[in-house]
Amino acid sequence: MREQATRELAAFSVPSEPGNERQALVLLAEAVSASGLSATQLERLKTAVAEATMNAIEHGNHQRSDLPVELRVMEEEGAVVVSISDWGGATSSDQAPEEPDLDRKLAGLQTPRGWGLFLIRNMVDAADEVSEGERHTVRLTMRVVGSSESSRSQG
Amino acid sequence: MNTTFGVQFRAIEGGVVLELSGDIDGTASKVLTEAYGGAVAENNPKRVLLDFTHVEYINSSGIALIVSVLALARLEHRQVLASGLSDHYREIFEITRLSEFIELHGDLAGAISQIAEAAR
Repeated sequence: MREQATRELAAFSVPSEPGNERQALVLLAEAVSASGLSATQLERLKTAVAEATMNAIEHGNHQRSDLPVELRVMEEEGAVVVSISDWGGATSSDQAPEEPDLDRKLAGLQTPRGWGLFLIRNMVDAADEVSEGERHTVRLTMRVVGSSESSRSQG
Repeated sequence: MNTTFGVQFRAIEGGVVLELSGDIDGTASKVLTEAYGGAVAENNPKRVLLDFTHVEYINSSGIALIVSVLALARLEHRQVLASGLSDHYREIFEITRLSEFIELHGDLAGAISQIAEAAR
């Protein structure tokens, strides 16, 4: 098996209180400042990390300020990988939210909310989830393509 | 870091403009809803321009809030326009399809003159 070139850029945590995703974004921006992400990629990554951190605060840790949301920023083989961990355990498949549909939302047939996972999926090259006991981690990957546009798949 | 949301509205020829500032997240709900209600009650505008020039951050709850305002405006047969979005948030308006229902303009002055033109 080939050894992966992995380097930790930063590891930090924020208390599970509403709005603390903004703290995480400041620390994330510092951590990836020399990673080679373009400005566009950085903005996309920040949005994805903010949404994943909000989910961890609200749905994972249920806004319990004694439970931290832990973030780890890594460089892995030409990509920046951000892991966001909470203590909410695995998400069951029947808890998967309905895909947002703006026509239905505007017609009052779907709640105006429910954009978080949609934004995460559309902002980064890959978004994966893993759970070990109570620890639930979302792993966001953004491939570094210098100043050119990200090669993330569309649709 | 976190910037409190604010909004000021004023009548313009052919509509109203709501000049938004700060962070649009779940905490902005009451302020934005009341400002929209006040602007509509005072002016009964055909067009409502949301100006994002001084908005620093929009999260998924903020998107939901914009969807709510848009839904209300459409129910009242008012057109919603937007100006001053950064490239990043313009992309988000596109992938969420908000841009199919909200006419996007680059800057506030251009949007205001277009609304005035349409009203003449």
